[in-house]
Amino acid sequence: MTGGPASSRRIGGLADSHGVVTTLAERVTRSPEETIAFGLELAAHLRPPCLVLLEGELGSGKTTLAKGIVAGLGAAGEDEVTSPSFTLVHEYGSTGKVYHADLYRIEEPRDLAALGLEDLVDQATTVLVEWGEKLGDNAPIPCVRIRMEHRGSDDRRILVERVEA
Amino acid sequence: MLVLGIESSCDETAAAVVADGEEIRSSVVASQVLTHEKYGGVVPELASREHLRKIQPVVEEACRQAQVTIHDVDAIAVTEGPGLIGSLLVGLVYGKALALSLDKPLVGVNHLEGHIHAVWLENKMARIAGKPVAEAALPAVALVVSGGHTSLFLVEASSHAADHPGRVFTYSQLGRTRDDAAGEAFDKVAKLLALGYPGGPIIDRLAPFGNPLAVDFGHIKMKGNPLDFSFSGLKTAVLYRVRGTELAKEAGERRAWRKTADRPSDDDLRAHCAQATLDLIASFQKAVVQDLVERTLAAADACHVDAIFVSGGVACNSLLRQRFTEATRRQGLQAFFPSPALSTDNAAMIAAAGYYKLLAGERAGVSLTAHASFPLGANRM
Repeated sequence: MTGGPASSRRIGGLADSHGVVTTLAERVTRSPEETIAFGLELAAHLRPPCLVLLEGELGSGKTTLAKGIVAGLGAAGEDEVTSPSFTLVHEYGSTGKVYHADLYRIEEPRDLAALGLEDLVDQATTVLVEWGEKLGDNAPIPCVRIRMEHRGSDDRRILVERVEA
Repeated sequence: MLVLGIESSCDETAAAVVADGEEIRSSVVASQVLTHEKYGGVVPELASREHLRKIQPVVEEACRQAQVTIHDVDAIAVTEGPGLIGSLLVGLVYGKALALSLDKPLVGVNHLEGHIHAVWLENKMARIAGKPVAEAALPAVALVVSGGHTSLFLVEASSHAADHPGRVFTYSQLGRTRDDAAGEAFDKVAKLLALGYPGGPIIDRLAPFGNPLAVDFGHIKMKGNPLDFSFSGLKTAVLYRVRGTELAKEAGERRAWRKTADRPSDDDLRAHCAQATLDLIASFQKAVVQDLVERTLAAADACHVDAIFVSGGVACNSLLRQRFTEATRRQGLQAFFPSPALSTDNAAMIAAAGYYKLLAGERAGVSLTAHASFPLGANRM
Protein backbone atom coordinates (compact mmCIF):
# COMPACT_ATOMS: atom_id res chain seq x y z
CA MET A 1 0.00 0.00 0.00
CA THR A 2 1.29 3.46 -0.82
CA GLY A 3 0.69 7.03 0.13
CA GLY A 4 1.36 7.24 3.85
CA PRO A 5 4.28 7.19 6.21
CA ALA A 6 4.46 3.94 8.18
CA SER A 7 4.29 4.59 11.91
CA SER A 8 3.40 2.44 14.90
CA ARG A 9 1.83 3.37 18.20
CA ARG A 10 -0.29 1.81 20.88
CA ILE A 11 -3.82 3.07 21.29
CA GLY A 12 -4.45 4.44 24.74
CA GLY A 13 -1.39 2.64 26.01
CA LEU A 14 -3.44 -0.49 26.69
CA ALA A 15 -1.56 -3.13 24.78
CA ASP A 16 -3.61 -5.97 26.24
CA SER A 17 -7.06 -4.77 25.21
CA HIS A 18 -6.07 -2.75 22.16
CA GLY A 19 -3.35 -3.30 19.65
CA VAL A 20 -0.40 -1.95 17.73
CA VAL A 21 -1.55 0.41 15.01
CA THR A 22 0.41 0.90 11.81
CA THR A 23 -0.59 3.50 9.25
CA LEU A 24 -0.71 1.85 5.86
CA ALA A 25 -2.00 4.64 3.67
CA GLU A 26 -3.60 8.04 3.68
CA ARG A 27 -5.42 9.53 0.75
CA VAL A 28 -7.70 12.42 -0.10
CA THR A 29 -10.24 11.55 -2.81
CA ARG A 30 -12.17 14.27 -4.62
CA SER A 31 -15.17 12.36 -6.00
CA PRO A 32 -17.13 9.14 -5.41
CA GLU A 33 -15.34 7.71 -8.47
CA GLU A 34 -11.95 8.40 -6.86
CA THR A 35 -13.14 6.81 -3.61
CA ILE A 36 -14.20 3.68 -5.51
CA ALA A 37 -10.87 3.65 -7.37
CA PHE A 38 -9.04 3.79 -4.04
CA GLY A 39 -11.16 0.87 -2.82
CA LEU A 40 -10.14 -1.15 -5.87
CA GLU A 41 -6.51 -0.35 -5.08
CA LEU A 42 -6.89 -1.33 -1.41
CA ALA A 43 -8.51 -4.65 -2.32
CA ALA A 44 -5.32 -5.77 -4.01
CA HIS A 45 -3.60 -5.62 -0.61
CA LEU A 46 -6.22 -7.50 1.41
CA ARG A 47 -5.47 -11.16 2.04
CA PRO A 48 -8.39 -13.20 3.39
CA PRO A 49 -9.26 -14.03 6.07
CA CYS A 50 -9.50 -10.34 6.76
CA LEU A 51 -11.66 -8.03 8.84
CA VAL A 52 -11.94 -4.44 7.64
CA LEU A 53 -13.60 -1.82 9.85
CA LEU A 54 -14.96 1.25 8.08
CA GLU A 55 -15.34 4.21 10.40
CA GLY A 56 -16.74 7.68 9.85
CA GLU A 57 -19.96 9.63 10.23
CA LEU A 58 -23.11 9.50 8.10
CA GLY A 59 -22.30 10.47 4.51
CA SER A 60 -18.53 10.11 4.85
CA GLY A 61 -18.34 7.58 1.99
CA LYS A 62 -18.14 4.20 3.73
CA THR A 63 -20.52 2.40 1.35
CA THR A 64 -18.83 4.06 -1.63
CA LEU A 65 -15.41 2.78 -0.54
CA ALA A 66 -16.94 -0.65 0.15
CA LYS A 67 -18.12 -0.73 -3.49
CA GLY A 68 -14.51 -0.38 -4.64
CA ILE A 69 -13.19 -2.97 -2.19
CA VAL A 70 -15.86 -5.59 -3.02
CA ALA A 71 -15.41 -4.99 -6.77
CA GLY A 72 -11.63 -5.16 -6.36
CA LEU A 73 -11.95 -8.51 -4.59
CA GLY A 74 -13.95 -9.74 -7.58
CA ALA A 75 -16.99 -10.64 -5.47
CA ALA A 76 -19.54 -8.30 -7.13
CA GLY A 77 -19.79 -5.32 -9.43
CA GLU A 78 -19.65 -1.93 -7.72
CA ASP A 79 -23.28 -1.18 -8.63
CA GLU A 80 -24.41 -4.34 -6.85
CA VAL A 81 -22.89 -3.23 -3.56
CA THR A 82 -25.56 -1.36 -1.60
CA SER A 83 -25.98 -0.12 1.94
CA PRO A 84 -26.56 -2.94 4.46
CA SER A 85 -27.93 -0.53 7.12
CA PHE A 86 -31.37 -2.09 7.05
CA THR A 87 -30.49 -5.64 6.10
CA LEU A 88 -27.42 -5.65 8.41
CA VAL A 89 -25.31 -8.12 6.46
CA HIS A 90 -24.90 -8.48 2.70
CA GLU A 91 -23.08 -11.40 1.17
CA TYR A 92 -21.19 -11.17 -2.12
CA GLY A 93 -19.39 -13.72 -4.28
CA SER A 94 -19.33 -17.50 -4.15
CA THR A 95 -15.70 -18.48 -3.81
CA GLY A 96 -13.79 -15.79 -1.95
CA LYS A 97 -16.87 -14.55 -0.18
CA VAL A 98 -17.18 -10.99 1.05
CA TYR A 99 -19.55 -10.09 3.88
CA HIS A 100 -20.57 -6.45 4.12
CA ALA A 101 -22.06 -5.62 7.50
CA ASP A 102 -23.34 -2.39 9.02
CA LEU A 103 -23.57 -1.52 12.71
CA TYR A 104 -25.48 1.73 12.12
CA ARG A 105 -28.55 0.50 13.95
CA ILE A 106 -26.69 -1.30 16.69
CA GLU A 107 -26.73 0.70 19.90
CA GLU A 108 -26.22 -1.82 22.67
CA PRO A 109 -22.73 -3.37 22.86
CA ARG A 110 -24.30 -6.67 23.89
CA ASP A 111 -26.06 -6.90 20.51
CA LEU A 112 -22.71 -6.92 18.78
CA ALA A 113 -22.02 -10.43 19.94
CA ALA A 114 -25.27 -11.47 18.26
CA LEU A 115 -23.98 -10.42 14.86
CA GLY A 116 -21.26 -13.07 15.11
CA LEU A 117 -18.63 -11.09 13.21
CA GLU A 118 -15.82 -13.41 14.32
CA ASP A 119 -17.76 -16.35 12.94
CA LEU A 120 -17.99 -14.68 9.54
CA VAL A 121 -14.23 -14.31 9.22
CA ASP A 122 -13.00 -17.70 8.14
CA GLN A 123 -10.35 -18.90 5.72
CA ALA A 124 -11.93 -17.65 2.54
CA THR A 125 -13.71 -14.51 3.58
CA THR A 126 -13.24 -10.81 3.82
CA VAL A 127 -15.60 -9.03 6.21
CA LEU A 128 -16.23 -5.29 5.78
CA VAL A 129 -17.94 -3.62 8.73
CA GLU A 130 -19.44 -0.14 8.41
CA TRP A 131 -19.67 1.88 11.63
CA GLY A 132 -16.81 -0.30 12.92
CA GLU A 133 -16.16 2.25 15.69
CA LYS A 134 -19.22 0.87 17.46
CA LEU A 135 -17.19 -2.24 18.24
CA GLY A 136 -14.99 -0.18 20.59
CA ASP A 137 -12.89 -2.48 22.72
CA ASN A 138 -14.74 -5.49 21.31
CA ALA A 139 -13.10 -5.13 17.91
CA PRO A 140 -11.54 -8.43 16.93
CA ILE A 141 -7.87 -8.04 16.06
CA PRO A 142 -5.97 -8.24 13.80
CA CYS A 143 -7.97 -6.04 11.48
CA VAL A 144 -7.64 -3.24 8.99
CA ARG A 145 -9.25 0.00 10.14
CA ILE A 146 -10.25 2.64 7.63
CA ARG A 147 -11.22 6.05 8.94
CA MET A 148 -13.17 8.31 6.62
CA GLU A 149 -13.75 11.98 7.01
CA HIS A 150 -15.83 14.37 4.94
CA ARG A 151 -13.81 17.46 4.07
CA GLY A 152 -16.40 19.67 2.37
CA SER A 153 -17.71 19.40 -1.22
CA ASP A 154 -16.86 15.91 -2.50
CA ASP A 155 -13.52 15.60 -0.70
CA ARG A 156 -12.95 12.64 1.60
CA ARG A 157 -9.85 11.98 3.70
CA ILE A 158 -9.22 8.25 4.05
CA LEU A 159 -6.77 6.83 6.58
CA VAL A 160 -5.93 3.13 6.42
CA GLU A 161 -4.39 1.43 9.46
CA ARG A 162 -3.48 -2.09 10.43
CA VAL A 163 -4.29 -3.09 14.01
CA GLU A 164 -2.39 -6.05 15.44
CA ALA A 165 -2.19 -7.71 18.81
CA MET B 1 -56.87 -24.36 -2.93
CA LEU B 2 -56.09 -23.14 0.58
CA VAL B 3 -52.52 -21.93 0.92
CA LEU B 4 -50.87 -21.16 4.25
CA GLY B 5 -48.31 -18.40 3.76
CA ILE B 6 -45.45 -17.82 6.19
CA GLU B 7 -43.24 -14.73 6.18
CA SER B 8 -40.36 -13.88 8.54
CA SER B 9 -37.76 -12.14 6.40
CA CYS B 10 -37.31 -9.09 8.58
CA ASP B 11 -39.09 -7.77 11.63
CA GLU B 12 -42.61 -9.10 11.18
CA THR B 13 -43.67 -12.65 11.94
CA ALA B 14 -46.63 -13.30 9.68
CA ALA B 15 -48.95 -16.11 8.63
CA ALA B 16 -52.01 -16.06 6.39
CA VAL B 17 -54.54 -18.40 4.85
CA VAL B 18 -55.49 -17.45 1.28
CA ALA B 19 -58.02 -19.31 -0.87
CA ASP B 20 -57.28 -19.69 -4.60
CA GLY B 21 -54.86 -16.79 -4.57
CA GLU B 22 -57.70 -14.30 -4.33
CA GLU B 23 -59.50 -14.50 -1.01
CA ILE B 24 -57.74 -13.66 2.24
CA ARG B 25 -59.28 -15.88 4.90
CA SER B 26 -56.86 -14.55 7.50
CA SER B 27 -53.68 -12.48 7.64
CA VAL B 28 -51.90 -12.19 10.97
CA VAL B 29 -48.86 -9.97 11.43
CA ALA B 30 -46.96 -9.76 14.71
CA SER B 31 -44.78 -6.69 14.38
CA GLN B 32 -41.54 -6.26 16.25
CA VAL B 33 -41.57 -2.48 15.91
CA LEU B 34 -41.94 -2.03 19.66
CA THR B 35 -39.09 -4.44 20.35
CA HIS B 36 -36.83 -2.62 17.93
CA GLU B 37 -37.99 0.92 18.57
CA LYS B 38 -35.55 1.52 21.38
CA TYR B 39 -32.69 0.37 19.17
CA GLY B 40 -33.74 2.60 16.28
CA GLY B 41 -33.83 -0.43 14.01
CA VAL B 42 -33.82 -4.16 13.66
CA VAL B 43 -31.43 -6.12 15.83
CA PRO B 44 -30.77 -9.51 14.23
CA GLU B 45 -30.54 -11.71 17.30
CA LEU B 46 -33.58 -10.08 18.87
CA ALA B 47 -35.41 -10.50 15.57
CA SER B 48 -34.75 -14.26 15.32
CA ARG B 49 -35.60 -14.77 18.98
CA GLU B 50 -38.88 -12.89 18.55
CA HIS B 51 -39.72 -14.86 15.42
CA LEU B 52 -39.09 -18.11 17.30
CA ARG B 53 -41.37 -17.01 20.08
CA LYS B 54 -44.14 -15.89 17.75
CA ILE B 55 -44.13 -18.26 14.81
CA GLN B 56 -46.33 -20.97 16.28
CA PRO B 57 -48.93 -18.65 17.90
CA VAL B 58 -49.10 -16.62 14.67
CA VAL B 59 -49.70 -19.68 12.49
CA GLU B 60 -52.30 -20.99 14.96
CA GLU B 61 -54.02 -17.61 15.02
CA ALA B 62 -54.08 -17.50 11.20
CA CYS B 63 -55.81 -20.90 11.12
CA ARG B 64 -58.21 -19.92 13.90
CA GLN B 65 -59.25 -16.69 12.14
CA ALA B 66 -59.65 -18.58 8.84
CA GLN B 67 -61.78 -21.15 10.73
CA VAL B 68 -59.69 -24.05 9.50
CA THR B 69 -57.33 -26.52 11.11
CA ILE B 70 -53.80 -26.94 9.86
CA HIS B 71 -54.97 -30.22 8.25
CA ASP B 72 -57.43 -28.33 6.01
CA VAL B 73 -54.62 -26.38 4.40
CA ASP B 74 -53.73 -27.70 0.92
CA ALA B 75 -50.22 -26.31 0.62
CA ILE B 76 -47.62 -24.15 2.35
CA ALA B 77 -45.71 -21.19 0.90
CA VAL B 78 -42.73 -19.70 2.75
CA THR B 79 -40.45 -16.75 2.11
CA GLU B 80 -36.99 -18.05 1.20
CA GLY B 81 -35.22 -14.68 0.77
CA PRO B 82 -33.95 -12.04 0.64
CA GLY B 83 -33.77 -10.94 4.28
CA LEU B 84 -32.00 -11.45 7.58
CA ILE B 85 -30.79 -15.02 7.47
CA GLY B 86 -31.59 -15.83 11.10
CA SER B 87 -35.11 -14.45 10.69
CA LEU B 88 -35.79 -16.15 7.37
CA LEU B 89 -34.70 -19.51 8.76
CA VAL B 90 -37.33 -19.46 11.52
CA GLY B 91 -40.27 -19.22 9.08
CA LEU B 92 -38.65 -21.44 6.49
CA VAL B 93 -37.78 -24.30 8.83
CA TYR B 94 -41.20 -24.07 10.48
CA GLY B 95 -42.96 -24.22 7.09
CA LYS B 96 -40.76 -27.06 5.92
CA ALA B 97 -41.43 -29.07 9.07
CA LEU B 98 -45.18 -28.51 8.73
CA ALA B 99 -45.13 -29.59 5.09
CA LEU B 100 -43.10 -32.70 5.89
CA SER B 101 -45.13 -33.78 8.89
CA LEU B 102 -48.51 -33.11 7.26
CA ASP B 103 -47.38 -34.36 3.85
CA LYS B 104 -48.43 -31.13 2.10
CA PRO B 105 -46.82 -29.51 -0.93
CA LEU B 106 -44.36 -26.71 -0.17
CA VAL B 107 -43.09 -23.81 -2.27
CA GLY B 108 -40.50 -21.12 -1.59
CA VAL B 109 -41.39 -17.55 -2.51
CA ASN B 110 -39.11 -14.59 -3.13
CA HIS B 111 -40.10 -11.78 -0.75
CA LEU B 112 -40.06 -9.23 -3.60
CA GLU B 113 -42.31 -11.45 -5.73
CA GLY B 114 -44.65 -11.50 -2.75
CA HIS B 115 -44.75 -7.69 -2.68
CA ILE B 116 -45.62 -7.61 -6.39
CA HIS B 117 -48.38 -10.18 -5.86
CA ALA B 118 -49.83 -8.03 -3.08
CA VAL B 119 -50.89 -5.55 -5.78
CA TRP B 120 -52.45 -8.32 -7.76
CA LEU B 121 -54.23 -9.79 -4.75
CA GLU B 122 -55.64 -6.41 -3.68
CA ASN B 123 -56.91 -5.77 -7.19
CA LYS B 124 -58.58 -9.18 -7.47
CA MET B 125 -60.29 -8.79 -4.09
CA ALA B 126 -61.57 -5.33 -5.04
CA ARG B 127 -63.00 -6.60 -8.32
CA ILE B 128 -64.59 -9.64 -6.67
CA ALA B 129 -66.19 -7.25 -4.15
CA GLY B 130 -67.66 -5.38 -7.11
CA LYS B 131 -65.64 -2.20 -6.66
CA PRO B 132 -65.28 -0.10 -9.82
CA VAL B 133 -61.57 -0.65 -10.33
CA ALA B 134 -59.67 -1.43 -13.50
CA GLU B 135 -58.00 -4.82 -13.84
CA ALA B 136 -54.34 -4.76 -12.88
CA ALA B 137 -53.33 -6.29 -16.19
CA LEU B 138 -49.91 -7.50 -17.18
CA PRO B 139 -47.38 -6.65 -18.42
CA ALA B 140 -46.68 -4.06 -15.75
CA VAL B 141 -43.76 -2.19 -14.28
CA ALA B 142 -43.48 -2.87 -10.54
CA LEU B 143 -41.72 -0.63 -8.05
CA VAL B 144 -40.95 -2.43 -4.79
CA VAL B 145 -39.92 0.20 -2.28
CA SER B 146 -39.25 -0.40 1.41
CA GLY B 147 -36.59 -0.05 4.09
CA GLY B 148 -34.48 -2.77 2.53
CA HIS B 149 -35.39 -2.57 -1.15
CA THR B 150 -35.89 -0.11 -3.97
CA SER B 151 -36.18 -2.02 -7.24
CA LEU B 152 -38.00 -1.80 -10.54
CA PHE B 153 -39.19 -4.91 -12.36
CA LEU B 154 -40.98 -5.69 -15.57
CA VAL B 155 -43.64 -8.28 -14.74
CA GLU B 156 -45.02 -10.50 -17.48
CA ALA B 157 -47.22 -13.58 -17.52
CA SER B 158 -47.12 -16.59 -19.79
CA SER B 159 -50.88 -16.37 -20.26
CA HIS B 160 -53.07 -13.30 -20.39
CA ALA B 161 -55.98 -15.15 -18.80
CA ALA B 162 -55.79 -14.07 -15.17
CA ASP B 163 -57.16 -17.36 -13.89
CA HIS B 164 -55.28 -19.56 -16.34
CA PRO B 165 -54.04 -22.61 -14.48
CA GLY B 166 -50.30 -22.98 -14.69
CA ARG B 167 -49.86 -19.32 -15.47
CA VAL B 168 -46.19 -18.51 -14.95
CA PHE B 169 -45.04 -15.04 -13.97
CA THR B 170 -41.67 -13.80 -15.14
CA TYR B 171 -39.73 -10.89 -13.70
CA SER B 172 -36.93 -8.83 -15.20
CA GLN B 173 -35.07 -6.39 -13.03
CA LEU B 174 -34.97 -2.98 -14.69
CA GLY B 175 -33.17 -1.06 -11.98
CA ARG B 176 -32.40 -0.97 -8.28
CA THR B 177 -30.81 1.24 -5.70
CA ARG B 178 -27.05 1.48 -5.87
CA ASP B 179 -26.70 2.55 -2.26
CA ASP B 180 -29.52 3.27 0.22
CA ALA B 181 -33.10 2.04 -0.13
CA ALA B 182 -35.73 4.81 -0.06
CA GLY B 183 -37.13 3.62 3.28
CA GLU B 184 -33.62 3.55 4.72
CA ALA B 185 -33.14 7.19 3.66
CA PHE B 186 -36.40 8.05 5.48
CA ASP B 187 -35.18 6.21 8.60
CA LYS B 188 -31.73 7.83 8.53
CA VAL B 189 -33.11 11.34 8.08
CA ALA B 190 -35.63 10.73 10.89
CA LYS B 191 -32.85 9.49 13.17
CA LEU B 192 -30.62 12.43 12.24
CA LEU B 193 -33.43 14.82 13.17
CA ALA B 194 -34.35 12.81 16.31
CA LEU B 195 -37.90 12.18 15.10
CA GLY B 196 -38.15 8.50 16.07
CA TYR B 197 -38.43 5.06 14.45
CA PRO B 198 -39.66 3.92 11.98
CA GLY B 199 -38.90 7.16 10.12
CA GLY B 200 -41.16 6.77 7.07
CA PRO B 201 -44.59 7.05 8.73
CA ILE B 202 -43.37 9.86 11.05
CA ILE B 203 -42.03 11.92 8.14
CA ASP B 204 -45.23 11.21 6.16
CA ARG B 205 -47.31 12.67 9.01
CA LEU B 206 -45.08 15.70 9.71
CA ALA B 207 -44.34 16.70 6.10
CA PRO B 208 -47.76 18.26 5.36
CA PHE B 209 -46.89 20.94 7.96
CA GLY B 210 -43.73 21.98 6.09
CA ASN B 211 -43.10 23.74 2.80
CA PRO B 212 -41.85 21.18 0.25
CA LEU B 213 -40.39 23.99 -1.86
CA ALA B 214 -38.30 25.43 0.98
CA VAL B 215 -35.19 23.43 0.11
CA ASP B 216 -34.40 22.55 -3.49
CA PHE B 217 -32.45 19.29 -3.45
CA GLY B 218 -32.45 19.20 -7.25
CA HIS B 219 -32.72 16.05 -9.33
CA ILE B 220 -30.76 12.99 -8.33
CA LYS B 221 -28.14 12.49 -11.04
CA MET B 222 -26.30 9.28 -11.83
CA LYS B 223 -24.23 7.82 -14.60
CA GLY B 224 -25.19 4.52 -16.21
CA ASN B 225 -28.61 2.88 -16.00
CA PRO B 226 -31.21 5.69 -15.74
CA LEU B 227 -33.61 3.29 -13.98
CA ASP B 228 -31.28 2.77 -11.02
CA PHE B 229 -31.83 4.73 -7.82
CA SER B 230 -29.46 6.48 -5.43
CA PHE B 231 -30.58 8.06 -2.17
CA SER B 232 -27.25 8.24 -0.37
CA GLY B 233 -26.38 11.67 -1.78
CA LEU B 234 -29.76 13.07 -0.75
CA LYS B 235 -29.29 11.76 2.80
CA THR B 236 -25.84 13.40 2.92
CA ALA B 237 -27.32 16.64 1.54
CA VAL B 238 -29.82 16.65 4.43
CA LEU B 239 -27.00 15.98 6.90
CA TYR B 240 -25.02 18.97 5.65
CA ARG B 241 -28.09 21.20 5.86
CA VAL B 242 -28.36 20.23 9.52
CA ARG B 243 -24.79 19.90 10.76
CA GLY B 244 -23.51 22.89 12.69
CA THR B 245 -26.77 24.82 12.30
CA GLU B 246 -29.73 25.73 14.50
CA LEU B 247 -31.42 22.59 13.14
CA ALA B 248 -28.77 20.39 14.77
CA LYS B 249 -29.18 22.20 18.07
CA GLU B 250 -32.93 21.78 17.87
CA ALA B 251 -32.57 18.07 17.00
CA GLY B 252 -30.36 17.67 20.07
CA GLU B 253 -33.05 19.21 22.26
CA ARG B 254 -35.67 16.99 20.66
CA ARG B 255 -33.51 13.93 21.30
CA ALA B 256 -33.31 14.85 24.98
CA TRP B 257 -37.06 15.52 25.15
CA ARG B 258 -37.90 12.24 23.40
CA LYS B 259 -36.01 10.34 26.07
CA THR B 260 -38.32 11.75 28.71
CA ALA B 261 -41.54 11.63 26.67
CA ASP B 262 -43.43 8.36 26.69
CA ARG B 263 -44.60 7.65 23.13
CA PRO B 264 -45.30 11.29 22.20
CA SER B 265 -48.28 12.04 19.98
CA ASP B 266 -47.81 13.54 16.51
CA ASP B 267 -48.99 16.90 17.83
CA ASP B 268 -46.42 16.78 20.64
CA LEU B 269 -43.68 15.90 18.21
CA ARG B 270 -44.71 18.64 15.83
CA ALA B 271 -44.75 21.14 18.69
CA HIS B 272 -41.10 20.20 19.22
CA CYS B 273 -40.17 20.86 15.58
CA ALA B 274 -39.26 24.33 14.34
CA GLN B 275 -40.78 25.41 11.03
CA ALA B 276 -37.36 25.08 9.38
CA THR B 277 -37.25 21.41 10.44
CA LEU B 278 -40.72 20.75 9.06
CA ASP B 279 -39.74 22.52 5.82
CA LEU B 280 -36.63 20.34 5.53
CA ILE B 281 -38.68 17.17 6.13
CA ALA B 282 -41.26 18.18 3.52
CA SER B 283 -38.58 19.07 0.97
CA PHE B 284 -36.72 15.80 1.57
CA GLN B 285 -39.88 13.74 1.18
CA LYS B 286 -40.79 15.56 -2.01
CA ALA B 287 -37.32 14.88 -3.45
CA VAL B 288 -37.56 11.13 -2.71
CA VAL B 289 -41.11 10.81 -4.03
CA GLN B 290 -40.39 12.81 -7.17
CA ASP B 291 -37.40 10.61 -7.98
CA LEU B 292 -39.35 7.37 -7.42
CA VAL B 293 -42.23 8.57 -9.60
CA GLU B 294 -40.03 9.88 -12.43
CA ARG B 295 -37.87 6.77 -12.74
CA THR B 296 -40.85 4.43 -12.53
CA LEU B 297 -42.68 6.35 -15.26
CA ALA B 298 -39.50 6.29 -17.36
CA ALA B 299 -39.42 2.50 -16.90
CA ALA B 300 -43.06 2.17 -18.01
CA ASP B 301 -42.26 4.29 -21.05
CA ALA B 302 -39.16 2.25 -21.91
CA CYS B 303 -41.11 -1.02 -21.62
CA HIS B 304 -44.25 0.31 -23.36
CA VAL B 305 -46.54 -0.80 -20.53
CA ASP B 306 -49.63 0.95 -19.20
CA ALA B 307 -49.81 -0.49 -15.70
CA ILE B 308 -47.63 0.48 -12.75
CA PHE B 309 -47.61 -1.55 -9.52
CA VAL B 310 -46.25 0.15 -6.40
CA SER B 311 -45.71 -1.94 -3.27
CA GLY B 312 -43.54 -2.34 -0.17
CA GLY B 313 -43.64 -0.36 3.08
CA VAL B 314 -42.91 3.00 1.43
CA ALA B 315 -45.99 2.45 -0.80
CA CYS B 316 -47.96 3.53 2.30
CA ASN B 317 -46.54 7.05 1.96
CA SER B 318 -49.44 9.40 1.18
CA LEU B 319 -47.50 11.81 -1.00
CA LEU B 320 -46.13 8.88 -3.02
CA ARG B 321 -49.63 7.56 -3.66
CA GLN B 322 -50.92 11.00 -4.58
CA ARG B 323 -48.07 11.77 -6.97
CA PHE B 324 -48.22 8.38 -8.66
CA THR B 325 -51.96 8.68 -9.12
CA GLU B 326 -51.71 12.19 -10.60
CA ALA B 327 -48.75 11.44 -12.85
CA THR B 328 -50.18 8.21 -14.27
CA ARG B 329 -53.56 9.82 -14.88
CA ARG B 330 -51.89 12.63 -16.85
CA GLN B 331 -50.13 10.11 -19.07
CA GLY B 332 -53.05 7.75 -19.58
CA LEU B 333 -51.43 5.06 -17.44
CA GLN B 334 -52.74 3.34 -14.35
CA ALA B 335 -51.14 3.02 -10.93
CA PHE B 336 -52.08 0.16 -8.59
CA PHE B 337 -51.27 -0.01 -4.87
CA PRO B 338 -52.07 -2.60 -2.25
CA SER B 339 -53.91 -1.39 0.86
CA PRO B 340 -51.46 -0.32 3.61
CA ALA B 341 -51.87 -3.70 5.37
CA LEU B 342 -50.82 -5.52 2.21
CA SER B 343 -48.07 -2.97 1.38
CA THR B 344 -45.97 -3.68 4.43
CA ASP B 345 -44.63 -7.17 5.12
CA ASN B 346 -47.38 -9.78 5.40
CA ALA B 347 -47.90 -13.45 4.61
CA ALA B 348 -51.04 -13.13 2.44
CA MET B 349 -48.83 -11.89 -0.39
CA ILE B 350 -46.56 -14.91 0.07
CA ALA B 351 -49.54 -17.29 -0.03
CA ALA B 352 -50.91 -15.52 -3.15
CA ALA B 353 -47.58 -15.69 -5.00
CA GLY B 354 -47.13 -19.31 -3.86
CA TYR B 355 -50.55 -20.26 -5.21
CA TYR B 356 -49.50 -19.60 -8.82
CA LYS B 357 -46.26 -21.50 -8.36
CA LEU B 358 -48.21 -24.46 -6.97
CA LEU B 359 -50.67 -24.31 -9.89
CA ALA B 360 -47.73 -24.34 -12.27
CA GLY B 361 -46.54 -27.53 -10.58
CA GLU B 362 -43.65 -26.08 -8.65
CA ARG B 363 -42.67 -27.98 -5.47
CA ALA B 364 -39.83 -27.36 -3.04
CA GLY B 365 -38.03 -30.28 -1.44
CA VAL B 366 -36.42 -30.66 1.92
CA SER B 367 -33.35 -28.94 0.46
CA LEU B 368 -35.21 -25.60 0.41
CA THR B 369 -33.01 -23.09 2.19
CA ALA B 370 -32.91 -19.40 3.10
CA HIS B 371 -30.95 -16.86 1.07
CA ALA B 372 -29.90 -13.50 2.53
CA SER B 373 -29.35 -12.20 -1.01
CA PHE B 374 -31.87 -13.52 -3.48
CA PRO B 375 -32.26 -11.65 -6.77
CA LEU B 376 -35.67 -11.79 -8.45
CA GLY B 377 -35.57 -12.38 -12.19
CA ALA B 378 -32.82 -11.63 -14.66
CA ASN B 379 -31.26 -8.23 -15.17
CA ARG B 380 -32.67 -6.57 -18.22
CA MET B 381 -30.82 -3.28 -18.41
